[in-house]
Amino acid sequence: MSMNRRRFLQACGASAAVSIAPTRVKAASAPHVVVIGGGFAGATAAKYLRMWSDRTIDVTLVDPNASHTSCVLSNLVLNRRITLKELKMDYGSLSSFYGVNVVRDRANKVDGAGKRVRLKEGGWLNYDHLVIATGINMINPPSIDYKLTPHAWIAGGQTNRLASLLNKVGPDSTVIMTIPKSPYRCPPGPYERACLIADIIKRKGLEGSARLQVLDANSSIQAEKHTFENAFNNLYGNIVEYITDVEVEDVISTEGRVVTRTADYVGDVVNIIPQQRAMGFIRNAGLTGDGLWASVDPLTYASTVSGFDGVHIIGDSQATGQPKSAHMANAQAKVCVDAIIRSLAGVPNDDPERVANVTTASACYSPITYDQASWLSAVFAYNTESGQMALTHLGEADRWSTGNYRQMFGWASNLFTDSFH
Amino acid sequence: MNKKIVRTLCLGTLVAGVVPQVQAEDLTVNRLLASQCAQCHGTNGHSVGSIEGLTDESYKDLYEDLMDMRSEDRPENIMDHQALGYTDDQVRRIAHYFGTLSGKAGEAPEFKD
Ligand SMILES: Cc1cc2nc3c(=O)[nH]c(=O)nc-3n(C[C@H](O)[C@H](O)[C@H](O)COP(=O)(O)OP(=O)(O)OC[C@H]3O[C@@H](n4cnc5c(N)ncnc54)[C@H](O)[C@@H]3O)c2cc1C
Repeated sequence: MSMNRRRFLQACGASAAVSIAPTRVKAASAPHVVVIGGGFAGATAAKYLRMWSDRTIDVTLVDPNASHTSCVLSNLVLNRRITLKELKMDYGSLSSFYGVNVVRDRANKVDGAGKRVRLKEGGWLNYDHLVIATGINMINPPSIDYKLTPHAWIAGGQTNRLASLLNKVGPDSTVIMTIPKSPYRCPPGPYERACLIADIIKRKGLEGSARLQVLDANSSIQAEKHTFENAFNNLYGNIVEYITDVEVEDVISTEGRVVTRTADYVGDVVNIIPQQRAMGFIRNAGLTGDGLWASVDPLTYASTVSGFDGVHIIGDSQATGQPKSAHMANAQAKVCVDAIIRSLAGVPNDDPERVANVTTASACYSPITYDQASWLSAVFAYNTESGQMALTHLGEADRWSTGNYRQMFGWASNLFTDSFH
Repeated sequence: MNKKIVRTLCLGTLVAGVVPQVQAEDLTVNRLLASQCAQCHGTNGHSVGSIEGLTDESYKDLYEDLMDMRSEDRPENIMDHQALGYTDDQVRRIAHYFGTLSGKAGEAPEFKD
């Protein structure tokens, strides 16, 4: 996002200067926290570890890329409201302002007993605490070729490819989009994308000739039901055909063919959003048990698997059941950082005062048309009985509006800045 | 290695401007709660976008605003819905945190029982 540079610098300076009750960790040598993955969860963790410890903790942030491309707002690349370039978040302020050691590499093995993590180029790295924040991995339909039928669910080259495919939609074109079974990254995201594709068709004047088939593996809309039902049935009633309980078995990309248990669907443009899971090295380490996501204690985001002392998993990779959103990834990072600092300072994390006040939040703005958006708001609090995060309040916008569309950019610029700057 | 780390003195101790009734509070708990506002309002309330910042808020005003939002008959905007997710005490802690940052924690809101 284009940031107002002056205000941004002010924000950085001020936030460091007014640290309230800084928790200085005193030790013979500074403790070392390694953060794997510099997306919304990892970048927030690295920044807040330095800020809240008053820089008494050494932080290494590992990511294979020089910058992170935000998925948030990336559906707006499809209808050309913004460019992918505007969504690039670099790690400059994390390293130069907060003093995070940023390493360009890829983690591929966790040694829980030895408290070390292996990087592809750099070899083993020792840690006192390890924060894993590597987002999602796709479970690929066996024959899929993403060059022809992109997912565009991790922002990058595929996002641009899908944008140019959609640009070529003409009279009588069929666009197919598939939605995986929950949980997946960004619950309202696929429905938001369906609306924007329908809007592209509408603005090309192809309403009534081109169409969009939305194949949902779930049996109903997974978020903002009221909003999306209204959009699919009314606003885009002549364009969108929404079909539930359709699970993709394979994709023959060269033919635009989506093979499902019940029928084959053939489209001119096919966007497959596949089933998702945590990254391979997380699963290989045994951190997911038999499952797809890493189970953690939501008071600390520490792994519940034994033998991984000091290993925390935050963001989309973990299994708490909270929505997999960037807002939420940022929220979890702060709970995790607070827990790590307390633990390094020898202060218990299960102190009743803290336990009663562990909360997270999520907010998602969903563009519905070229210049209108709706939103979803959710707050979670720790429930002592279940030991899980429980929803305390859920709200969704009454209607989509241009006001919400404008507010979406205000929200995003603070979310981006709070996470990466 | 963790054993070498000495328990910090800063946790739960007083900072300037803290009003009497919350002396014993763990301020890092308030900080954690308040940090959930930053995704929309900026780090420590320093907004870089069109959404208003929270750097100039007093303890009293912010507490009263948040309590108003929580009692809306028809919660409409996103902030009403966010506020509804927190308890009275959490709202008070959040307001106290921002009031302390702005140096305006001196005047405490009136609490109803
Ligand atoms: C189209 C779309 C729209 C969305 N809209 C919203 C929205 O409006 N609001 C919202 O809150 N969320 C939204 N999201 C969801 C949001 O993008 C994700 O929930 C969020 O990015 C999760 O954060 P994360 O840190 O877990 O993962 P990511 O942000 O994906 O970060 C993972 C990072 O880990 C790195 N990495 C991966 N493997 C390794 C490795 N082995 N070693 C080192 N580094 C590694 C990657 O390079 C990446 O930088 C949207 C998503 C999509 C796809």
